[in-house]
Amino acid sequence: MKQNSLFLDRATIVSPHVNGWDEFLASLNCQDVISFEEDWRAQLESLPMRSRRRLSPQILLAISVAEKIHETLPKETAWVFASSVGEGETLNVILDALGTPEKAIQPLRFQNSVHNAASGQWTIAAGVKCPVTSINAHNYTVGAGFLKASMQIKSENCPVGLVLYDAPLPYPLSASHKINIPLGVGFALKPEPSANTIAELKISYCKTPNPMPFASLPQIPENSYNPILAVFPLLKCLAGSPQEDIFLGLNKDYGLCIKVKQL
Amino acid sequence: MLQHPRTNNCGITHSSIVTCLGYGRSSHLLALREGRSGLSNNHGLDLQFDCYLGKVPDVEGIGFPSRVADFDNRATRLALAALVTDGFEQAVLKIRNRWGADRCGIVLGTSTSGVEMLEKTYKAIPENGAMPEDYSTRHHDNLHAITTFLQEYLGFTGPGYTISTACSSSAKALVDACQLVESGLCDAVLTGGVDSLCMTSLYGFESLELMSKVPCRPCDASRDGLSIGEAAAFMIVERDADGYLKLSGYGESSDGTSMSTPPPDGSGASQAIKAALERANLTPNDIDYVNLHGTATIVNDSTEAKAVETAVYRSVPASSVKGAIGHTLGAAGAAEAVFCQYALEDEVIPGNTGLIDLDPALLPNVSESCRNGQLRHVISNSFGFGGSNCALVLSR
Repeated sequence: MKQNSLFLDRATIVSPHVNGWDEFLASLNCQDVISFEEDWRAQLESLPMRSRRRLSPQILLAISVAEKIHETLPKETAWVFASSVGEGETLNVILDALGTPEKAIQPLRFQNSVHNAASGQWTIAAGVKCPVTSINAHNYTVGAGFLKASMQIKSENCPVGLVLYDAPLPYPLSASHKINIPLGVGFALKPEPSANTIAELKISYCKTPNPMPFASLPQIPENSYNPILAVFPLLKCLAGSPQEDIFLGLNKDYGLCIKVKQL
Repeated sequence: MLQHPRTNNCGITHSSIVTCLGYGRSSHLLALREGRSGLSNNHGLDLQFDCYLGKVPDVEGIGFPSRVADFDNRATRLALAALVTDGFEQAVLKIRNRWGADRCGIVLGTSTSGVEMLEKTYKAIPENGAMPEDYSTRHHDNLHAITTFLQEYLGFTGPGYTISTACSSSAKALVDACQLVESGLCDAVLTGGVDSLCMTSLYGFESLELMSKVPCRPCDASRDGLSIGEAAAFMIVERDADGYLKLSGYGESSDGTSMSTPPPDGSGASQAIKAALERANLTPNDIDYVNLHGTATIVNDSTEAKAVETAVYRSVPASSVKGAIGHTLGAAGAAEAVFCQYALEDEVIPGNTGLIDLDPALLPNVSESCRNGQLRHVISNSFGFGGSNCALVLSR
């Protein structure tokens, strides 16, 4: 892949203690995302309360991220939603239902059980008619999300809203599906610079460097894992921390190298 | 306006398919010509309702390689079955040697991956008990598990990820395969879709009252819902593939109106079809056949007919193969793209298996039987929950 230049108009972060880019800039502290109350839910503006109550924590988180980058993007914007698990809470509810004699799954739960439930609900909330994709690459979901976004921008010559999100699952799936903290991160990306552009991202495909990704993360306790944390070095670089090239893994051998130029 | 530059260099050099009709090209072409359905109510699953399912035969008997045994579940068995069918695995390994492992990517589509294994594991947990410590989501229910299995089994080290947009998943995986090749990141991409029968899907669609008690009848005046199937279907999308079929165009759109019901005018679907035609640099009159998503629900078939009439033309030859293989969900886009490949190569217009009385409100040129016909450009439609629409153009 030739080096692709993407232009970043806005970045955002949603977690229990950091709600939006300004709060992130104020803290720049990964520890802030670690502790949270179990009933924490991302706050939404684009859906009525009645609709919000029907949605999983995962969907609420993803839509909250999309809302925060939406206003910098034009109507003709493609969206990429990337999550390593997706609708984990809904999966747990369905598995519980299948364990009952009636095996009665709620229809609304079923239609919101698909991995693209968050992106689908976002298209409804925002009236999106453009291409929207929902992808997963397990622990490499962040890299895959950026790869897909960069290809979409180049192939359609259109802006892309990139939403990266994962939230913890309830017990008992929480033991096998290890996502310990909720975290959503969003990027408003464009093919050309605009008056709102804050950085140019030069993206190329490269071999995995040594040390491996995550090595540049601040110290995170073992019980605070979330695959979306892989994007933190990029966030910190965007926030002004001196950084060398950012690396986002696509697999154990290769990944994306990102050079950040503040504008 | 979004731009849809031409798709220039995406050849389809190899393919493989397993469905309830059997394994590979000859089984499927024979069934197509005979108008045979693989749907059956003798499916052996413990369900509380009557239905016909498209279950792939003999999956349990496949020898699973010990070096990747941790991935063993029904979905990866379907994937393995497709690999060993029609010489696909040997072709894949030749391609890996030709281009280099790091230039070969994998993009799959699935809606449920190996969740069938998670269902079994979960069922065995005592009340308030814990998940077994040796259960691995990475190897089973994670949506990326089948892609990971294929990466490790085939030694592909290029980019790999999984698209999961419900029933449009594997059609959109073909789009991404093409984007990876056209971006120069890959020289070849193994793409396609896999979904196995599982309780989550079956009871889920039953909860929506969308499951038919008889073999589904897309486009029929008396259609009353889905039959669910399972499948694995793979294609190799490769650059510089002169003499092979092309993925000449694709289009994607979102309805933005409802999670499970398309807008009545089919506007989202027609937008995707128009984008695919534009990218293929074709006009509606260039299209010789449309493979309908054709799920056999009253609303979906009606909406799709309006979309095709708007974006292509009303009398275009069309059919749905879901009366033969069922709705294979996340695998449907790729499975039906393989059917389109066979139609182009063998000059057949697939029949609409199960059709008795064509609904006069739908497209008129739908035949129950397979017909001979020289085809040059065909469209394959896939639509999914979340209002996710994708249309592919395959050309020879």
